[in-house]
Amino acid sequence: MPSAAKFTLWNRKLHYYLGLYFLFFLWLFAFTGLLLNHPAWTFAEFWPERKQSVFEWQIQPPRSGTDLDQARDLMRQLGLAGEIEWTATHSDPNTFDFRVTRPGHIFEIHTDFDKHRAIVQRIGLNAWGVLHILHTFTGVRLADTRNQRDWTLTTIWALAMDALAAGLILMVLSGIYMWYGLIRKRRLGAAALALGLLTCIWFAIGLKLLTSS
Amino acid sequence: MRRLYPIVRDLHLYFGLFISPFVLVFACSVFFLVHAWLPRMTGARGASPRRTATGLRLPQNLDRLKNRQRVDAVRPVLDQLGVAGEIDSIRHLPREHRLVIAVSVPGRETTVDLDYGLRVATISPRDAGLAEAFVYLHKSPGPHLAQIRGNWSMTQVWRVLADAVVYVLLFLSLSGIYLWTVLRAERTVGLVLIVLGAMSFFGIVYALSR
Repeated sequence: MPSAAKFTLWNRKLHYYLGLYFLFFLWLFAFTGLLLNHPAWTFAEFWPERKQSVFEWQIQPPRSGTDLDQARDLMRQLGLAGEIEWTATHSDPNTFDFRVTRPGHIFEIHTDFDKHRAIVQRIGLNAWGVLHILHTFTGVRLADTRNQRDWTLTTIWALAMDALAAGLILMVLSGIYMWYGLIRKRRLGAAALALGLLTCIWFAIGLKLLTSS
Repeated sequence: MRRLYPIVRDLHLYFGLFISPFVLVFACSVFFLVHAWLPRMTGARGASPRRTATGLRLPQNLDRLKNRQRVDAVRPVLDQLGVAGEIDSIRHLPREHRLVIAVSVPGRETTVDLDYGLRVATISPRDAGLAEAFVYLHKSPGPHLAQIRGNWSMTQVWRVLADAVVYVLLFLSLSGIYLWTVLRAERTVGLVLIVLGAMSFFGIVYALSR
């Protein structure tokens, strides 16, 4: 088989193999994207439905180390797992507050080293809450240098997001290549592609140029 | 079945081509969001020169209005200043008789510091570049400050387009499954990939949320 024909065949296979593998990932991010854009949809409410509980725990103050080391030590003692989020500056050496998050669960942890005590506020979310958080669960935020990804599962989820994004880009490129090979459909396809392209250019670049004063 | 196949294939093709650029915008911005990293791309020039406007015509009770009413009242003031875009937030500093208004268009953020006592405003634009424009579009209109979100006509149009992209993606995935089932030789490999995808998806989600 000539190499061009081989490339065409594998390009086609790549298009639907990627689509089939990423099917569930795509459905999750597409559907939750819709939910995030419509916070008024009451059927998907999760924050008013949250379940809260507070428990107190005896702890051993962690040995000296970085804030991350101390938080991990405390989480081990409390039997918690998740992504650590810094909620307050650690100015008083006898108190240490932070948040642990994973989809469906939020733990607000307040510790008092003098009293060897940790107060943990647990917030449990329903399935809509889990879906919501999965869409944005990266462990990092733009313009926030303090919070870094620190849980292995967050890293795996972030890699899954990267893989989906790369897969979608490849599907777009392989789709365009396949369309270009269909000579009879080039004109209408070019119109559809140009319409989408011009709309995106309008929003990504045009609005800024148009509204510059 | 024979009639359905070419129709589904054509719709899959043309809808797919139309949303291709949107998918690229959403997919590229994923890398910036997941890694909290913004490359230096064209158009990012940072802070632009500030300018000041005086003698502004202001609506009455601007200091007493809340939420959407305040956003609607501020819009004509922004028009006087030549500042267009989505009003992201308005911070009221009552003791200083000031409103600090954050206004965005994809790729530019403008802060308008309005002294409603003196009827003076300072306008500070920041050119953010293409990468931030993609991120802005990815997150727009989003779940936050729902009472005021969508206060600019272009945000409303983008909301419709972003929704349409989701519906079209769902159609493309379903029509893609249909088109794959017609390819008998690919059924086994395809089925294995669906099962592998489902296992990795549900496995990670279970581990994250248990």
